[in-house]
Amino acid sequence: VGTALSRLPAGKGNAHQAGYKYAYNDGDGSTEFDVEYPIQITGFDHYFHDQEMAIQPVAFSTLFDTYPLLNGRGYPDTIKSTPVINSLSKESQKVSSLITANKGQRILIRLSNVSETEYYTLTVPGIPMTVIAEDARLLRGPDGKNLYYRTTSVTSGGGKTADFILDTTNTKPGTYFMYAARLTQLNNDQEDYGGMMTHIIINP
Amino acid sequence: MSANTLAKCERERTNMKSTMIKLWTGIVLGALGLAAPSAKAEWLNQNTNPPAGADGMGNHLVDGITGPIFTLTAKPGHISTAEGGSVYVWGFANGNGPMQYPGPTLIVNQGANVVLTLSNTLPFPVSIVFPGQTVTAVGGSAGVLTREAPQSGTVTYRFTASQPGTYLYNSGTRPDLQIEMGMVGALIVRPSGFVKANKTTWKGFGTTDSVFDHEYLFLLTEMDPDIHSQVEHLALAYTGGIFNPTIDTTRHFANYWFINGRTSPDTMMVAGSKALPAQPYDAFPIMHPKQNLFMRVVGGGRDPHPFHTHAMHARVLARNGRLLQSSSSATTSDLSYLVFSVNSHPGETVDAVFTWSGEGLGWDMYGHSGTDPLAYGEDPNDHGKRFPVVLPAEQDMDFGQWYGGSPFLGTSAALPPNLGGFDPTGGFIYMWHSHNEREIVNNNVFPGGMLTMLLIQPWAPGYAP
Repeated sequence: VGTALSRLPAGKGNAHQAGYKYAYNDGDGSTEFDVEYPIQITGFDHYFHDQEMAIQPVAFSTLFDTYPLLNGRGYPDTIKSTPVINSLSKESQKVSSLITANKGQRILIRLSNVSETEYYTLTVPGIPMTVIAEDARLLRGPDGKNLYYRTTSVTSGGGKTADFILDTTNTKPGTYFMYAARLTQLNNDQEDYGGMMTHIIINP
Repeated sequence: MSANTLAKCERERTNMKSTMIKLWTGIVLGALGLAAPSAKAEWLNQNTNPPAGADGMGNHLVDGITGPIFTLTAKPGHISTAEGGSVYVWGFANGNGPMQYPGPTLIVNQGANVVLTLSNTLPFPVSIVFPGQTVTAVGGSAGVLTREAPQSGTVTYRFTASQPGTYLYNSGTRPDLQIEMGMVGALIVRPSGFVKANKTTWKGFGTTDSVFDHEYLFLLTEMDPDIHSQVEHLALAYTGGIFNPTIDTTRHFANYWFINGRTSPDTMMVAGSKALPAQPYDAFPIMHPKQNLFMRVVGGGRDPHPFHTHAMHARVLARNGRLLQSSSSATTSDLSYLVFSVNSHPGETVDAVFTWSGEGLGWDMYGHSGTDPLAYGEDPNDHGKRFPVVLPAEQDMDFGQWYGGSPFLGTSAALPPNLGGFDPTGGFIYMWHSHNEREIVNNNVFPGGMLTMLLIQPWAPGYAP
């Protein structure tokens, strides 16, 4: 986590500096980032929706996300930069999940699980990942001990949030993936190669 | 807590309302009738032992049995779910008492030499394992995980409760089925020096940050009623010998969710209610502003649950009965952290402290003028700040049972006839629940399941500790 400090102007200590962005009032500059992306874990059970449309009782207890989504879209729609247009020609899903950064930048991911049906695990192989906060609280002990942790995946229950930083200092430029580690969630209902996945593009 | 949080809570309560009125007027009023002597206790003073303090509310400790010599009996029975269901279960009874779900909460002090004899009235072997304890099993017959009590037999388990914290116990025999059927309970080890009658000794651990005013258990479980129906059906055809039903537990898909063995809104019914003879434990946290509420959260089933504490964050002090500390000589949980949803994973326990202040709300929650004295625990930054909303006229509002007629803590006001009634002291009420929200139904009837309410009761006017 010291990598952030080394980027601050020489001799400026740990105080936050004008011209730099920080995720939290961390007191040491360690949540400094260059680009930020909100990623909302979403999803829906199309059977539940069909029942609602057919004015039938909806089975809340058997809710099962047949469409695991990021920011309301399944892959490959997740990486479209333009809004998704629905059958009524309206912009139905405006938020892209395409993550872009230049090599060396620190990417802040603001993760929230708003699906609220079950636990989901997102993984990002190939880019070092440091979790800095859970449930909108900096991971610090009561006397300030640093509880950040390095990981390759983050698991989030319904309604929970986490903030993590992807550090691309030593990342080779190219396309990386953020996706549900439970591979059965990589589908758009019966269509494979979809669902809860997006690209992270690291430019040179 | 932000105004947004409160507004969100308000919305949720509003959304729940029409069904809640139907369910709760029937169920809760029914409970009040059945448990008339305890009705006051249900709302104002859940546990009168130790006696209520000067605040008039008393302090809550987890219900259970204290041993440390225990006798549990494995028995069949039925439990009730709040939408009117009845589920066949196998559970543990305290001695010759009724079968109960969950099993009796075993409460001992650190260092106690626990001796638990399990007596079996079920037509198949049963056993108990105590994760986190070093157990010696005596008697009974050999089993896969531990020694078992055979049909009509007994087995004895001994261990020293060497470390404080929250633990669970459950069946060690065909656990895929027997735990699902109800053979699970909590074990609470209080730290050395804990004396129930002396509140100054109340702590979750030996640490200074585990001091509490109230202690609540949240044993989270779930059931797949299809499995229970199949087992009951097969049990009806039982003619003798070892009952070992052929049940495919790999297809388990929960449809009932419980806190301390009850589905909501039964979670808020008085403990020991005669309406729920097999489900004696309630889960209805009540506290005053700035008090510490010690949460013992137990993952007793097979699914994880994000247990959401609306209103404020909780500080996680320990997991699996072990403090989050950088060294064992630390006097606090210096590696503790704040969450607004406690991750409760199967087989795991979490000890956390929840404190409510309402600070940072942006308006004076007591409705004070700037010249009024501060209430105990009040955020001085918000003192005298105006309520930022003009309340609509009565005919433009809908009223939930929990609304006391006023948005201000400690103030009750007139309500239309037959409305309100659950909030006689002008408290604030927040929903605590699994945030995997498909789990807050009872067989598809919303609201229900793994859900309860936190009641913030105002201090008496002028109170200062």
